[in-house]
Amino acid sequence: MLLYFVKRIFLGILIISVAVTLMFCMIHLVPGDPARIMLGPRGTTEMIADITMRMGLDQPLVIQLMKFFGNILQGDLGMDVISSRPVTAIVFGQLPYTLWLIFSAIFGAMLIGIPLGCYSALHRNTLADRVTGVISVACITAPSFVVALYSLLIFAVTLKWFPAIGAGDKGDLFDQATHLVLPAFAIGISWVGYLSRLVRASMLEVLGENHIRTARAYGLTESTVVYRYALKIAILPTVTVIGVGMGFLISAAVFTEIVFARPGLGKLIIESITSRNYPVVMGSVLVSTVLFVISTTISDLVNAWLDPRIRANL
Amino acid sequence: MKIKTAIIALFIVTLGLSSSLALAAGDVLKVRAYSDLKSLDPAYSGGVFDEEIQGLIYSKLIQYKPGREWGYSLDAAESIQQTTPTTIDFKLKEGIMFTNGFGEMTAEDVKYSFERIVDSEVKSTNSPDWGPLKEVVVNSKYEGTIVFNEPYPPAWNIALPYIVGNIISKKAWESVDGKVGTTTPSVSGPYLIKEWQPKQKTIFVSNPDWHGGEAPFNELQIIPIDDESTAQLAFEAGDIDYTRVPVSSVSNLKASPPANSIIEEYPSLYYVWVGMNVENELLSNQNLRKAIQHAIDVPSIMQASYFGAAVPSTGIIAPGLVGHRDESLVAPEANVARAKEYLAAAGLSGDVRVTLDILNKAANVTTAQVIQANLAQVGITLEINLHESGAFWSLGDHTAGDRYKDIQLILNRYSMAPDPSYATGWFVTSQKGVWNWERFSDAAFDTLEVAAKSEVDNTKRDQMYQRMQDIMENSGAYRFITHEATPVIYSNSVNPGFRPDGLPLFRYFSSN
Repeated sequence: MLLYFVKRIFLGILIISVAVTLMFCMIHLVPGDPARIMLGPRGTTEMIADITMRMGLDQPLVIQLMKFFGNILQGDLGMDVISSRPVTAIVFGQLPYTLWLIFSAIFGAMLIGIPLGCYSALHRNTLADRVTGVISVACITAPSFVVALYSLLIFAVTLKWFPAIGAGDKGDLFDQATHLVLPAFAIGISWVGYLSRLVRASMLEVLGENHIRTARAYGLTESTVVYRYALKIAILPTVTVIGVGMGFLISAAVFTEIVFARPGLGKLIIESITSRNYPVVMGSVLVSTVLFVISTTISDLVNAWLDPRIRANL
Repeated sequence: MKIKTAIIALFIVTLGLSSSLALAAGDVLKVRAYSDLKSLDPAYSGGVFDEEIQGLIYSKLIQYKPGREWGYSLDAAESIQQTTPTTIDFKLKEGIMFTNGFGEMTAEDVKYSFERIVDSEVKSTNSPDWGPLKEVVVNSKYEGTIVFNEPYPPAWNIALPYIVGNIISKKAWESVDGKVGTTTPSVSGPYLIKEWQPKQKTIFVSNPDWHGGEAPFNELQIIPIDDESTAQLAFEAGDIDYTRVPVSSVSNLKASPPANSIIEEYPSLYYVWVGMNVENELLSNQNLRKAIQHAIDVPSIMQASYFGAAVPSTGIIAPGLVGHRDESLVAPEANVARAKEYLAAAGLSGDVRVTLDILNKAANVTTAQVIQANLAQVGITLEINLHESGAFWSLGDHTAGDRYKDIQLILNRYSMAPDPSYATGWFVTSQKGVWNWERFSDAAFDTLEVAAKSEVDNTKRDQMYQRMQDIMENSGAYRFITHEATPVIYSNSVNPGFRPDGLPLFRYFSSN
């Protein structure tokens, strides 16, 4: 298990390095002079040269990349020349908003999707199962930005149940929670469908296995069989999907953060790419890649912890 | 089951009630800005969005007067006047205090604030606004003279009442070695910054020491919302009290306005035009350029892209400003027969293909499609190239590769301050490859541009700027489209203050 963990860490570092290098190359390939964009029409040649130098853009790409990695090792993501603030402070200032959004969405989806999947599996081919199936597929097919817009129109504009924009007042948890409801719903709704379908399929497979039949033969109650024995196995694919899904949720968060004018990492990445604010782009991409790697690693470790067969093969 | 349903219902009602109560409580004004705060230093102000914040916390000698006509009112100045073509005398009001113990505002602070902008060491992007500023002479504790190297009428329009007119405390700035980013050591305006929550809001509270008395609101929040449609929804949901709305929404909002709201339309200063690269092999043919000018039907663009909320422009200088032309040389309506004549004269009656580069905004795409249809009528095939903002804004930059050579037609939109010099400065020969993407060059235009900036006779100045737009239009390199419009919506509990171009002056917002 320890060796597996170490392997995963090395793999994670490799993934991060490749992703960051690719992103670095991509943003430098896109046309647009960051200094000129930052300074706007008033930027003189001297000012542009000054900003270019301060951002280190006057140096060869390889040197810039090496410096970037060197700085990462020292925990320094550089300075944002626009606001003169450390990139670390900017990125980590926005990160909690995105994390709260993603966790709320996925937690909400699990809370609804997993029981729904279990219910469907246990009532296979009944009317309830079919209705659940239709609802689940409808949820999967609903694009998050469409759900975001309609939920905004219905629950914020028309019914005025929830606030439309922002992330709520600092220090007011209740206010923050109310500001989370609609964005989390928008990106979580499709996950309700995914998880429900996934758990149903997985549960049906597990329920047909020998050890479940044996458990039933011992006279265990149906709920014990389902929740203690079957669900523990049936949940494994879900854990993997959730781990990988974190990356997709970060992407979905971009649209949601724009529609709900919420602060967050996704919005920060979009804005900094548009303004060619390279240090902030790189810092944000690094952090989101690390998040993705951490979530997939955790999901793999949880899988191994839940399933002795996986542990045995490590 | 019933208990569960009741709990859920109670939860939802509680959430709804609490959010409604939160929005209704207190003497708080919530307004939208299109971008977040970037700098609190007037030298590095990023533009309108920074000025909306700086205008609340700093004082100026004079402020733009809210209303439908351009004018100014006194702020920190007790008196101010143009004494000679190159000097402006001012006297400060006594007792204007800077916060955090930095004392009373004096003429030394004015000198420091203004001269700092043009100091080459400071590298302020806003230094052009002060034009030929030489110095500020301190005559006494409260009195001073602003001295220019040559006459500079724009000072009254784009310097004194705008970004570079903000007065900062010399002592406060020196206490932080002149390094001010998103926190400021001292202010003197009606509001203080209580907290800046990046990408979320800037919260202001009233400044108890403000020389103007009591600020209209106990708290004011500026919320950055990039997208106008989202901002409109936020207004309709009651989350904000003021926002600019998309022009596409105006007719719907007028037909069924949200409860307790007021919609107003202001003419904008922005200018939109189709430019043509005169150095491009194909478009160096002036007759082809003129054919394109006459083929484009501007009224159709007004309907399709601006939903009738904007009107065709006659040039780059908006109505209400010195230099505005009542009519353009080429009528806004397309003249297909004339366009075909020019095309024949160009010797290009066969399959003529041109490209149009645009920024990827909905209005631009629609405009480009209308132009595509217009040009097709005269036998010109138009290919539309869509760019995201970073790529678009470097298209004509001659230091960023050879892409500037490939530009043929370009749909462009520049922002504007209320002085004609702000518009014409981008089209001089020295701006070729910088912001003059048409690579237009005319000696008479260049001479007039310099002369008009220092012309103190408004009538002469007006004629000079009109003549410059004639030269631009005669070159065939420009088809003027519109100045757009600024539709705004605000709660009827608010008494707002807007510049004549619809930009908000938040310090003048008060409750009804």
